[in-house]
Amino acid sequence: MTVTIARQMIGAELLKLRRNRALLAFALLLGVATIALYFGFAAVEHASNPARYGPAGGAPHFERSVRIGGLFFGALAAILIGAEAGTADISSGVFRDLVATGRSRLALFAVRAPGAILLTLAVNGLGFVVGLACSFLLAGSLPTPGVGIVLESAGWIALSSAVIGMLAVGVGSASGSRAVTLTAVIGLETVATQLLVQATALGQARDALPNVALGQLNPFSSPYDNLTLSAALAVLVLLGWILVSAAIGAWRTAVRDA
Amino acid sequence: MTHATNIIETEGLTKRFGDRVVVSGLDLRVPRGTAFGFLGHNGAGKTTLMRMLLGLTAPSAGWMWIDGHRLPAERAVALARVGAIVEEPHFHSHLTGRENLRIVAAVRGAEAQTRIEPALARVGLSERAGERVKTYSQGMRQRLGVARCLLIDPQLLMLDEPMNGLDPAGILEFRGMVRELVAEGRTVFLSSHLLDEIEKTCDAAAIIDQGRLIAQGPLEALLASETADVEIGCRPPDRAFELLRRHPAVASTSAIPGGVRIRLSRRDGVASINAELVGAGIAVFRLEAVHETLEQRFLQITTRIGGQP
Repeated sequence: MTVTIARQMIGAELLKLRRNRALLAFALLLGVATIALYFGFAAVEHASNPARYGPAGGAPHFERSVRIGGLFFGALAAILIGAEAGTADISSGVFRDLVATGRSRLALFAVRAPGAILLTLAVNGLGFVVGLACSFLLAGSLPTPGVGIVLESAGWIALSSAVIGMLAVGVGSASGSRAVTLTAVIGLETVATQLLVQATALGQARDALPNVALGQLNPFSSPYDNLTLSAALAVLVLLGWILVSAAIGAWRTAVRDA
Repeated sequence: MTHATNIIETEGLTKRFGDRVVVSGLDLRVPRGTAFGFLGHNGAGKTTLMRMLLGLTAPSAGWMWIDGHRLPAERAVALARVGAIVEEPHFHSHLTGRENLRIVAAVRGAEAQTRIEPALARVGLSERAGERVKTYSQGMRQRLGVARCLLIDPQLLMLDEPMNGLDPAGILEFRGMVRELVAEGRTVFLSSHLLDEIEKTCDAAAIIDQGRLIAQGPLEALLASETADVEIGCRPPDRAFELLRRHPAVASTSAIPGGVRIRLSRRDGVASINAELVGAGIAVFRLEAVHETLEQRFLQITTRIGGQP
């Protein structure tokens, strides 16, 4: 596959996703509107009782908005987009027609992830920009985030979006079902992670959870403060999840009856 | 017959699902530049064969070639100039017709992008190409499927039950399109259980029954009867019936309204029969060879093999 064809195929993948109005609306709701709502709610609180509630912006609220984007609602947007990218061709029946072109099935799989990640980055990037703007506009007397922490946060949001998006693409391509993918990945990211993190009997095995590794790499303190792992190990854990999800997605795409 | 004359060849092609044999030892030859009908009852194995040729499912045994390229080893090059619609054309319903073609053109390569507008024009969809596919009728989807096949200037088009769901005008239009494509030197391989349509559209055909190939060849050869039947319109028919019953060139007789139907034991016996009837004072006003339709032939063959009408 030439670079031109790869670029065209990624562009086509992006077209499929961004023209899906329902998907885009829900992704924007999760990745952008929740950040705006968070600051809007804090602004209302501050306006109603300034003595009790501080200004809605500044560095502390920026930190919370980054976590919302990286580990919670932005992650849900990434899962939504990744699940759609992984399953859209199969559920619509177009996969059969794409396979019938003679193009390698692995190539058909390989372009799904960049398409999904590009759209996820756009959505969560917009959420990040909204959070950053609100942090400055509503800072009041609070200190604003510095350039370094802003850049680190942007990089972490991008990393989180890419890892979780890739995970959803892999599971989606393997299962072929959007419902199964959403249930499995959201279940892992929310319910399973919360339960397993509390299961002290599992010891260091809990470090292998993707959210724990992502939490460790975030520029602020980890939300899983009972677990600590080195940055290098966290990177390895995330690479492992990316490789495993890519491998099962690629394998199933290659052997699936179209 | 070789790869030079046949665009599709299979040898001993077999597909099993568990213990069930869906396609059994198929030796198929599809000549280039023809409209080739692939006939069979529902569930006979037509779609499974197409799916194997297109790499959608792996065969259990046997060999297959498209345009001389061995499958699946040379799948990419073999399918580079093959356009196909399997079962029914599927699209991303939230995208427009044009956007759906852009998706496949991206997979096909740079040249395919330049063929989007000509392909839409060819199937008469230029004006509706900006509308979402979910608003398209069945016929429009079928035409968009053909446009998708034309993105690569195909040598071979494989269409699975293409007339399904089309109204009479759509069928007529589709038939015309197939003939145009064949006139351009392309091969159109179409599977169907609509025998009348195959007879009107195709030059050659193969008949598959319970996964086995029963017959293949030019339509005239498939339709050529082993016996020669003639209908004779005459007056009075009862006298003609009696006379012909004893005639040496007649194998069997049966009465029909206003005449007699005979089966000849010698194909050259018609002239003597006519002379004899006229000589006996019987007015002969019609002598007509009875041609079997593809439907009759199909039912005859598949009934003989499968034991089921």
